[in-house]
Amino acid sequence: MSTQEKIEKMLKKSEVIMAAGGEARVKKQHDAGKMTARERIACLLDEGSFVELDRFVQHRCTNFGQEKKQLPGEGVTTGYGTVDGRLVYVFAQDFTVEGGSLGEMHAGKIVKVQRLALKMGAPCIGLNDSGGARIQEAIDALAGYGKIFFENTIASGVVPQISAIMGPSAGGAVYSPAITDFIYMVKNTAKMFITGPAVVKSVTGEEVTQEALGGAMTHNSKSGVAHFAAENDEDCLTQIRYLLSFLPSNNMESAPVVETGDDPMRTDDALNTLLPDNANQPYDMYDVIKSLVDNGEYYESQKYFATNIVTCFARMDGSTVGIIANQPKVMAGCLDINASDKGARFIRFCDAFNIPLLNLVDVPGFLPGTNQEYGGIIRHGAKMLYAYSEATVPKITLVTRKAYGGSYLAMCSQDLGADQVIAWPTAEIAVMGPSGAANIIFRKDPNVAEKTAEYIENFATPYQAAIRGMVDIVIEPKNSRPTIINALQMLESKRESRPAKRHGNIPL
Amino acid sequence: MKKFNITVNGSAYEVEVEEVGGAVSSAPKAAPVAAPKAAPVAAPKAAPVAAPKAAPVAAGAEVISAPMPGKVLSVNCKAGDAVKSGDVLMILEAMKMQNEIMAPADGTVSEVRVTAGQNVATGDAMIVM
Repeated sequence: MSTQEKIEKMLKKSEVIMAAGGEARVKKQHDAGKMTARERIACLLDEGSFVELDRFVQHRCTNFGQEKKQLPGEGVTTGYGTVDGRLVYVFAQDFTVEGGSLGEMHAGKIVKVQRLALKMGAPCIGLNDSGGARIQEAIDALAGYGKIFFENTIASGVVPQISAIMGPSAGGAVYSPAITDFIYMVKNTAKMFITGPAVVKSVTGEEVTQEALGGAMTHNSKSGVAHFAAENDEDCLTQIRYLLSFLPSNNMESAPVVETGDDPMRTDDALNTLLPDNANQPYDMYDVIKSLVDNGEYYESQKYFATNIVTCFARMDGSTVGIIANQPKVMAGCLDINASDKGARFIRFCDAFNIPLLNLVDVPGFLPGTNQEYGGIIRHGAKMLYAYSEATVPKITLVTRKAYGGSYLAMCSQDLGADQVIAWPTAEIAVMGPSGAANIIFRKDPNVAEKTAEYIENFATPYQAAIRGMVDIVIEPKNSRPTIINALQMLESKRESRPAKRHGNIPL
Repeated sequence: MKKFNITVNGSAYEVEVEEVGGAVSSAPKAAPVAAPKAAPVAAPKAAPVAAPKAAPVAAGAEVISAPMPGKVLSVNCKAGDAVKSGDVLMILEAMKMQNEIMAPADGTVSEVRVTAGQNVATGDAMIVM
């Protein structure tokens, strides 16, 4: 065979694999509103940057006549490329090849890029679109999943791991995304569940559609499994690029600094009048966030889940911050089970990846009730305390209004290691709500009403905390942005360490 | 009514299982195998609890239930009102806050089940749309 013939043979082999599942299946994929695996990768990465690995990998299964089957690329396309010029690793399951089903070698290709991402300190992005395990490969397929979960776990906290669900993801397959840092789901096409509607019906008798059971909005709003929802494939991939712009490539780096053009010294008079005079009336915490951050731009994780707490990435003077904010407009901004889980996981992500925390506090307390207590609000709420205490990144707390009792601590008080606690004059930092406290203290006093008013005047303020030095600075609200940016700059050189240990034991 | 003999840890039990409603034909097959213990206990319990709550609400109706325990401060809508998504339907005072309960979607209020001053628990149906 001449050299030319050898080159042609290689090109021909490649061509077969590049054609994936063939014209008919590709058309079906497009008709379903989905891109193919290769189209998705091209859309995600900088143009022309993709380098494919393991194109010629084949399975070695001989069960049930599988040896006669050629599965182009083993149903998954893997490799590396760049996003905004920065290295990332990517794998994309190919639904047109045997339904994107996962076998031994398919898993092997994924594990290879996971290990490379870890070694090179680059984010790993998984684009999931798979019918599940390739049953013919039996426990070899199962072992493949196990290896992927293991690599996910080892890489957790070292490189950002992002999963996009762009088709079905059922059974064991859901756990790889679940271990990663962020899950995107594409509306209408993405489905995630442990067991599908048919099994649910046979076991519990419930009738439920795939969309209601495990669709994008189910997991974005009800279960909290997913962090982001996308309108379609392109929107999903664009959003992943956007998220990456806020993140460092690994735990040894800082997030990229961007020239945003927003004046760090900008003040905002609107903040002076944002809060209603009546402390029992709600306002929108998004107004505060928009005013503080560069150009009012922020990217929210779990936007539809536990909306009584807001978790988002934004930039201040060009540097990424992670914001955790109570939302008085929803359920009074109280902390409940879901809000605690959402907040704690976000805090831990930021801490793992050197992203400073900005905590905006207006919290009346933990939500009372039997379903909260039976659901374990004690161990869930404890996650907030744990996550904040554990975090060694710069921590800045701004108390806008209420900060009562345990929930005040759980939103990163100075005692939990906040490096700077800033309060507005409207802050009410106290052991409990003023009327409740006055009722206890003056229970037997004939002038309860008068004494209560006096108590509110003296204790529902930032000054009791400021007297003890628990609040560092009391500021006019309009000066919040320059004050916080100044604190962030001061904290750039922060060094804090924790005692050596195997790992802590966060209440789960 | 079906009878089953079930042996648990060596003790034999005779269990009667009654099929509630028009369940699918596959259910009776699966039940004795999957959950012989749970079936007789769970079936009669589940039915009466679920039925009265779900029954009065028409199919497709949206129930706005209390997100947390509190006191109804004011109701700003009545049955028959056309409302837009985001309209404040009522104020629920809870957790030291006058929480605005908003319409989740455009629609018509078909029923208001609470009055000002009333206490509600988490999950209580307040307004049906």
